[in-house]
Amino acid sequence: MSLSVPVAVVLLFMLGSALAAAVIRDVVGSIVAFAGYSFGVAVLWALLRAPDVALTEAAVGAGITTVLFLLTLARTTVTRSDRFEGISLRSGLAVVAIVVTVGATVPALPAVGDPSAPILAGDVSQYYLTNAYDQTGVTNVVTAVLVGYRGFDTLGEVAVVFAAGIAMLLVLRREAFV
Amino acid sequence: MIELLTTKYTYLVVVALLGIGAYVMIESDNFVKKIIGMNVFQTGIFVFFISSAFHTAGRSPVVQSGGGGGPFVSPLPQVLILTAIVVGVSLTAVALGLVVRIYERYGTINERTLEEVRADE
Amino acid sequence: MSDRDSPTDATADSGRPDGADESQPDAVDGEGSVSRPADERPPYVESTIIMTTVRVIAPFVLTLGLFVMFHGASSAGGGFQGGVIAATTVVMLGFAFGIEPIASRLRNEHLALLVLSGVGTFLVVGLGGYLVGDNFLQVSEYETLFHHGSKYSIELVEVGIGVVVSGVITSLFFLLGTGIDAADAADPDTDSEEDR
Repeated sequence: MSLSVPVAVVLLFMLGSALAAAVIRDVVGSIVAFAGYSFGVAVLWALLRAPDVALTEAAVGAGITTVLFLLTLARTTVTRSDRFEGISLRSGLAVVAIVVTVGATVPALPAVGDPSAPILAGDVSQYYLTNAYDQTGVTNVVTAVLVGYRGFDTLGEVAVVFAAGIAMLLVLRREAFV
Repeated sequence: MIELLTTKYTYLVVVALLGIGAYVMIESDNFVKKIIGMNVFQTGIFVFFISSAFHTAGRSPVVQSGGGGGPFVSPLPQVLILTAIVVGVSLTAVALGLVVRIYERYGTINERTLEEVRADE
Repeated sequence: MSDRDSPTDATADSGRPDGADESQPDAVDGEGSVSRPADERPPYVESTIIMTTVRVIAPFVLTLGLFVMFHGASSAGGGFQGGVIAATTVVMLGFAFGIEPIASRLRNEHLALLVLSGVGTFLVVGLGGYLVGDNFLQVSEYETLFHHGSKYSIELVEVGIGVVVSGVITSLFFLLGTGIDAADAADPDTDSEEDR
């Protein structure tokens, strides 16, 4: 599919705000730019027909992550600056290496939205789409896969979230939480 | 080149986001900014997954019996990213907790200052 | 910039457990940027606009979160999505009315109970698969027990996930947010964070 205007606008917005978050030395400004970037990402998910992911990203990326960053600044120290980040040899080399290596794989990927791409035409996705309702009674295939087909995986994810809460208690030395 | 730009545009954005995220993680000496870079890098991976699931004429994957009403976008990458986002925010929170602890112990969240403080001890 | 300049020496040292006395990390860090220690900033500023707005929209946001959580089977939504939206309500309230008052209302025992009950729900539904079928989390076998059994068991698991996610994110928010005042409490005995 050729590039549609809304997607192009959102992608440009994302790139611009990510760059702003990267080069602004002022940490508060960087966090605000990152919040805008996350909101752009959530809009992109909505445009790419992923409403479940868009809901999560809007609440997590633009909301909770930003608040956690700001709270960390409130508890530590805030660096105000008018200057921008420079570029050093080591970060320049690392970025060039990543961009060249990952970028070399792009021509081999199928076009965005191509119906014959393996992930869309392959057996796994089609199996889920064909059988999800009849086997689980759930019309939202994302939910059906999340709990019905990949439930053990999801239990692992819940365990990770649970472990993150415990790790936070240990890190902040608040073991006597209850 | 033009063909690449018009058909694989999201993958090019993924490459750019990975580069930006890695740049911030390496170049910035502020720990909070390093974590912002980590989040940008992470979101780059998310963009790769979700755009690989995209179908030009597809609808969001809410089906009727027998999979009718299609074509749909692929649900599987969306499930993976859905869980990855929540795990990502937990990871960010624990990383920020470590930053708070570093500040309480050494009184700085600057990488270079921290190296100096640790060298003095 | 100029109104943010402040004498930074020796003000932030009181709350530190040990060491790092001579570092003066909060001073100018050598690149023309100015830092300000956390102790000198008020962590919470009362704003009528924010308080009124949050008071109006908070019930609706919580309702949306619960709606998304409970309707994961038939429309876009589910546990992860609804959980984070529900947690956003608490974050909003914390921003509007101060984190400490909100955290003292929502006791940590309740949060821990919430998270554990969510994990427990998931495990009960999963292990119940052994009773009705052969495998862990075999939700399709619940169909033999009652009509739409697999759908409702999936919904139950989603609600469990939502409870875990909202509970953990709320406690992460409280943990990062409520230490601000405690950080400069020099005497550990007066530190009320530990026993709340």
